Parts: sequence; C-alpha cells; structure tokens
Amino acid sequence: MTKTNLEFKYKAMSEFSEWFEQTFKDCYCEEGHLIDQDRFSEIAQLVLDNEADEESLALFEEKLRNCVQTSGRFEKEKNLLKCIKNKLNKFRQDIPGDLANAIRNSISA
Amino acid sequence: MAEIREEAVRQHYTEQEKASVFDKELMPHVNSMYNFAYRLAFDEDDAKDLVQDTYLKAFRFINSFERGTNAKAWLFRILKNSFINEYRKKSKQPAKVDYNEVASYYNPDDAGEGMTDLPLETVQHMIGDEITGALNALPVDFRTVIILGDLEGFTYEEMAKILDIPIGTVRSRLHRARNMLRERLLSYAKEMGYDKN
Repeated sequence: MTKTNLEFKYKAMSEFSEWFEQTFKDCYCEEGHLIDQDRFSEIAQLVLDNEADEESLALFEEKLRNCVQTSGRFEKEKNLLKCIKNKLNKFRQDIPGDLANAIRNSISA
Repeated sequence: MAEIREEAVRQHYTEQEKASVFDKELMPHVNSMYNFAYRLAFDEDDAKDLVQDTYLKAFRFINSFERGTNAKAWLFRILKNSFINEYRKKSKQPAKVDYNEVASYYNPDDAGEGMTDLPLETVQHMIGDEITGALNALPVDFRTVIILGDLEGFTYEEMAKILDIPIGTVRSRLHRARNMLRERLLSYAKEMGYDKN
C-alpha cells in the first residue's frame, strides 16, 4: 500500500471512529435502551460491511452481548441485508456472447 | 484487493506487455462491467457500447494503470465517468423528471430518511426479479452505490474513489439507498398482497 493510500485509509477510519462513537451514543437513552432504530441500522450496516475499526467494533460487540433488543435488531438487519444481496446477486444479466471478441477486435484494429 | 492509485505513475509497457495486461488483468472483469453498464443504461445495445468504449479508453490509457493494482475499480471508474459524460446525455429515452430524485439531489440529508420496517419473510417470498425491479427504480446515484457495494463487493474506500465522493458520503448514501430500496419493496409487497401488516 502506498503512503498516500495508507494516509487515506487511516483518515477514513478515524472519521468513522468519531462518527461511530457519537452515533452509537445517540442510539440509546440514558437508561441504555435502544431509542433510534434508523441510526442503529446505519451503524449496524457499517459493522456488517466490515468498515468499522477495532475500537468501534469492540464497543458494538459489548452492547450486543448485554442488550437483547440490540442483538435482536442486529440479527434482523443482518438477515435482511443478506437476503436482499443474495436475491440481487442471483439475477445477473447474461453477457452478449460476442462482446469479449468485439472488444478484442476493436483494440487490435 | 490492490488499491486504486491516488496519482497514477506512468508505466512504460512494450506492445506485448500492453496486450498481456489487457488480457490478464482487464478482460476478466468484462462480465461485471456489462452488468454494471446494463443496470445503469437499461438497454442492451447501450450497455455493450458503454463496455466497449470503456475498454477502448482503458487500452488507450493503459500506461496509467500499474500491473497488479485494482483493475476492476479502475475500469468501473472509467465506465461510470463515460456513463455520466456521454451516455446519459444521448440516452435513447427522453429525459424524465423524477421529482423525488431532484428532491434527494438538492436535499441529500433528507433523502430516504426514516427507517422502513420491512419484514424478512416478505423479502424471502419475493423473487430476484422483483427485487431487481425495485433496485432499478431507484435514482441512479442511489442505485449505483448498491450495485457497487452489495453486488460487486467494493469497499467504501474503493467506492469513494470510483464515484469521486468522500467516504462519509458513501456510508450515508449507501444507508439511504438501502432504506429507499426497502421502502419500495414494502410498498410493492403491499400492492401484491405479500405483506399483510
């Protein structure tokens, strides 16, 4: 990985880290109950997309272990995302048979 | 996966090396490229032209591609730019104004706001064709992030570079796009009587 790319990655991760911490906090009331399903869904998707950094992931996993409402909501988000992805991936357009040859011919012309 | 380079370092390939890079690193992605093009253009001929144009441009600028780096993301970026700059303008379909699209463009923070409580069983009853139909009905910017993230498996960082947008925008746009897709699936399910809630 080049220096520029490393810097970009660390910058992005730290951006997400701050955003995650604040959004995570906003999802729960003072008693620790989940009160904002939409924000929770956004952070759950970040986790499911493997884009959360270690610190954010640890915070999230601890809540998952200790809150039934959170783990139920997370399971639902995970299954819904997986089901939609699977169905979308099954329906792919067939590539026209002559396309690869047409490309090769056009670059050698 | 290798990175898309921030600043391309010019390569000096021989003719033989150019052909080898083209065949071994770029051509294996032709299937994904065609699917992406088709989901953008909704027309087989336009999708074919778009993919052919992309490969021609890639070959012409092959010296700005470093062997072993992220060929797929590089090609997707070229295709997306070609679509925006050329194909959207000369689309066979006359331009239709989608007021939801306009509203979400000008008020991106409001777009797709609010959570849709779509039951898992409802989606399980649907076929891929119905879900693809709902995806195709999304405004192009939202459709694109779902294609890149959920169908092609690009990371947020790769999507940010393909689309030339900040990584935080990728995160929020993808979330909104998924919400919009769920809203459409839910209203479709209600119409078809799949959802009794």
